[in-house]
Amino acid sequence: MYLWCIYYIFERKFMAEKRTMTLNLTETEMNVLEDLAAKKDLNKTVVIRQALRLYQMVDQRIREGKKVFIEDSMTKDKSELVLI
Amino acid sequence: MEKSLLYLERRKTGEAVEAELWDDISDEHIQLWQDDWLPLVEEAKQTLERAGVPREKWPQDLHWKWDKKTIWSRGLLSLRRFTITCEEKLQGLMLVNLTKMTGRVAEQKGKDLAYIEFVSTAPWNRPDMTKEPTFRGVGSVMVRVAIELSREESFHGRIGLHSLPQATRFYREICGMTELGPDGSYHGLAYFEMTESQALKFCS
Repeated sequence: MYLWCIYYIFERKFMAEKRTMTLNLTETEMNVLEDLAAKKDLNKTVVIRQALRLYQMVDQRIREGKKVFIEDSMTKDKSELVLI
Repeated sequence: MEKSLLYLERRKTGEAVEAELWDDISDEHIQLWQDDWLPLVEEAKQTLERAGVPREKWPQDLHWKWDKKTIWSRGLLSLRRFTITCEEKLQGLMLVNLTKMTGRVAEQKGKDLAYIEFVSTAPWNRPDMTKEPTFRGVGSVMVRVAIELSREESFHGRIGLHSLPQATRFYREICGMTELGPDGSYHGLAYFEMTESQALKFCS
């Protein structure tokens, strides 16, 4: 009974209504997009969406005065990511 | 803000009680958190203090400021907020990040997942904070919500989280997630991940 009750629910979708746009990419850019989509097991739209989310997050952190670093997991060397 | 119907189990009677899942944390929810939830958290802190329990052993979510987390995360595309209410009271809150982590389990290494940043059940539902908890199931529903969000995002139900010490058994045994051990880069908290097949099993 309990399990049925909690698992009965999820008919609705969490995604907001979407708008469509045309994206013009060079062949190289398209190759990169397709490569990422294949590696990540995502479609190209989702890769672009993830890229936008990440870009916004990094931009926000930097606006807050934070620094964003990329760390080499082996050597622990850090390099700062700078958005200009 | 959208809401959908779900059911929680009243612990005392076992009855299923209608509840609401909201796909955001509104100002009204924050007000409920401040009016009803926070005073009990402060009370629990004082009890722990009086009992001489060292601070490092307190449930860490006692310190979480949901008002600040909500305000900060609004407008950020990576972060999704969820609320469960029942009988006009707040029952649970969750913040999910869609870009923070990628898979660590071999079969999904490097693939995107929905990462549960924070999830809390209201003090009146927690056996560690009240003698007679009101509802059961809030944590399980929140895990299910994260799985559904992951599926919506084409992540195939993959989710991940760092667990507070008091919740590791729940994620390991109830949710059937893979435990990858303490994460030195994240306060030493145990890291858990759910694969596509584990998500299917959890939801079946």
